[in-house]
Amino acid sequence: MSQSDVHNLSDDAAARGTGPNLAQRLFADYGMIFVLLALVVLFSVLTYTEQHPTGADAGRQVAGSVLQEFGAQAKVLIVARDIAGDRAFSVAAQQRLTERGATVLAVVNGGPVEARAAIERAIAAKQTIDAVVANDVAAQWTIYDQFPQVGAARVRTPRPYDWPNFLKRSNLLGVANQTAIYAIIAVGMTMVIITAGIDLSVGSLVALASVAGALYIREHGGREAGLATMLLGMTVGIGVCALAGAFNGCMVTAFRIPPFIVTLAVMMMANGLAYRLCQGSSIPELPGSFFWLGSGSLLGIPNPVLLMVLLYVVAHIVMTRMAFGRYVYAIGGNEEAARLSGVPVIGVLLAVYTISGALAGLGGIVLASQLAAGDPKFGLTYELEVIAAVVVGGTSLMGGEGKVLGTLIGAFIIAVIKNGMNLTSVDPFNQKIVLGAVLLAAVLIDTLKRRRFALFAPA
Amino acid sequence: MSRLASLLALSTLLALLGCGSSSTTNKTTATTTQPSTAPANKTIGFSVLTLTNPFFKVIADTMQAEAAQHGYEVLVVSGDRDVKKQSDQIDDFIVKGVSAIVLNPCDSQSIGPAIARANKAGIPVFTNDIKCQAADAKVVSHIATDNLQGGRLAGEAMVKLLGESGGKVAILHFPQAESCQLRVQGFHEVLDKHNAQTTGGKIEVVATLDGGGARIEGRTAAMDAIEANPDLAAIFAINDPSALGAYSALEAAGKVDQIKIIGFDGEKNGKEAILQGKIVCDPVQFPVQIGRKTVELIVQHFNGEEVPAEVLIPSKLYYKADAEQDPELADLASEEAAQ
Repeated sequence: MSQSDVHNLSDDAAARGTGPNLAQRLFADYGMIFVLLALVVLFSVLTYTEQHPTGADAGRQVAGSVLQEFGAQAKVLIVARDIAGDRAFSVAAQQRLTERGATVLAVVNGGPVEARAAIERAIAAKQTIDAVVANDVAAQWTIYDQFPQVGAARVRTPRPYDWPNFLKRSNLLGVANQTAIYAIIAVGMTMVIITAGIDLSVGSLVALASVAGALYIREHGGREAGLATMLLGMTVGIGVCALAGAFNGCMVTAFRIPPFIVTLAVMMMANGLAYRLCQGSSIPELPGSFFWLGSGSLLGIPNPVLLMVLLYVVAHIVMTRMAFGRYVYAIGGNEEAARLSGVPVIGVLLAVYTISGALAGLGGIVLASQLAAGDPKFGLTYELEVIAAVVVGGTSLMGGEGKVLGTLIGAFIIAVIKNGMNLTSVDPFNQKIVLGAVLLAAVLIDTLKRRRFALFAPA
Repeated sequence: MSRLASLLALSTLLALLGCGSSSTTNKTTATTTQPSTAPANKTIGFSVLTLTNPFFKVIADTMQAEAAQHGYEVLVVSGDRDVKKQSDQIDDFIVKGVSAIVLNPCDSQSIGPAIARANKAGIPVFTNDIKCQAADAKVVSHIATDNLQGGRLAGEAMVKLLGESGGKVAILHFPQAESCQLRVQGFHEVLDKHNAQTTGGKIEVVATLDGGGARIEGRTAAMDAIEANPDLAAIFAINDPSALGAYSALEAAGKVDQIKIIGFDGEKNGKEAILQGKIVCDPVQFPVQIGRKTVELIVQHFNGEEVPAEVLIPSKLYYKADAEQDPELADLASEEAAQ
């Protein structure tokens, strides 16, 4: 403990200092951000690959090259899928081709079955097919070689370009969206761990919130439920979990039961209760408005990500600028000393566990909204995912130390590694080994850093 | 300075981990896609329910081998029964731009939005073993064992086993899974019909307990069933792990000769137990056929052929005589014979 006090003192000294010291302090507190950046670079390099464009520009481009190759009299078939980007592709290609006098035999916006039918019709009408304009996906369908009059050699696709899969906008937003739930729950977990506690119940509370909320909505209108019912359902889900969190806090403060045991018990009870409430099956009877929170977006950014950012800003201010935050650190540093210096220990601990429960509940509601159902199977082992994010983010399980924003970085490190391994097709068994190693490495580096790299030194 | 050193150390470690693991996969994928002449970007993403059950591993391995012959690479990831994890995996498949997605839904309802996102991205989705029930998710084709027919086979085997004398039967169920509900439904159908017609003793289901589909829970449930019904004649377990759990309960209770077990699945452990006489018989599933059929339908789909919305692969009864002829168990069978 004395070691960490010294550490904090030196940090405070650094904070009072000038420019380079401030940079040093940032580096010490949020050094993990460099690991995150290194990972981003790593996976950008590893997933650097050929991209195949679709959409209007790609359609015009491939139409242009077909006109060049086959001349203005070309008879062309256009093939793409029935999705927004592909429709723009085929419309633009058709426009460019007809403008220049080429014949468009047919435009297919559908699947392989429709494309096949179009080819058969063209052949039956004794048309020759000079070229097929398709985007990369439609070009890979194996229909063309089945007609000697066509053949895959006549298929023309847009020019590919190189870009990392990892750095695609949809992927980056996807990673943020995938992390949001863990990160939201991790705010509460960080506070609990800074008080030298632990909350194992969060995973089960995610399931309980989703089931309780969905059940309330189903009982009051289901798919036709109004906005008020929907909001009330969300409040019920979060409220139940806040109560469970308050119960955790009571047991920890009033009866001095170790947090590990209390929250383990609540984890089991909440899990059983979630299964009991819905008789073991998921509850999909939810109104459309319910999905806005999890699946909607504002200015192109998914709502769960915005919610996550908002929560982290608030939590950061609370933990660094407000008395409550100071109390949380003080309790984790030395509970007895905190009590003697007038910190309302019981109240703060109660609040911290309640917040943790409520945020797990919020996570459950967001998850239910994303997955369009309440389900007792949600949240399986999330407590471990969340604790891992907190630890990788540099918060000590001994309490008294840690940063909320560090947890956000930790959550993203884990998410980026998972996403990167999926994108680079790492074997699922190896993925778990890597994640375990990363967790261990993070803690190891943190410990070594604290000891200033003196191996085998007493703690 | 030391902090900088520590960070550098960690980032190189991570980099090494990243490179190390990706190069190993490159090796493995290279071995699975030997005869492929097609471009490397034809891939199928497969998210399995779990890789801890050999049944799904067999489907995945078969699909990899089969798809390689058609120039597809199959990327296998495990949903680990966590529907959020599986839904994230589907998003990753969409980013990668796979040609098709195959999955065993971790939840029949909540996987819906993820499948809808794949639909929106124009990627065809196939399911096997577990069906997706969500309303707005479009699945091209579903391939599974005909579990209702398999359950009926188990019922017929039970009638044959207990014959005219009849007796008391316990079921080790796993009610969370729709497939197991169908198996038990089929089983009941046959027994009800038998009981209505028979002039001899009736076959009475005295207990239906949750065996968790796993060895340990199966053992516990079977022990409770034996305790409550000392004159039990047989047990029907909805899969092999719970059947093997039931057998260990019989051993502990010294009732191996009195109570017979019928299982389900025909995974290797189950077949071995049939050869050794621990389990009377199994309606067996054919994961290899499920994997093959899935790839076949994907290839047909991209050939522009209409594919059926559902393909049910019938199950077959597998007795000790079948096990003795089974090349998969050849070593074990000769050992048995030597004893």
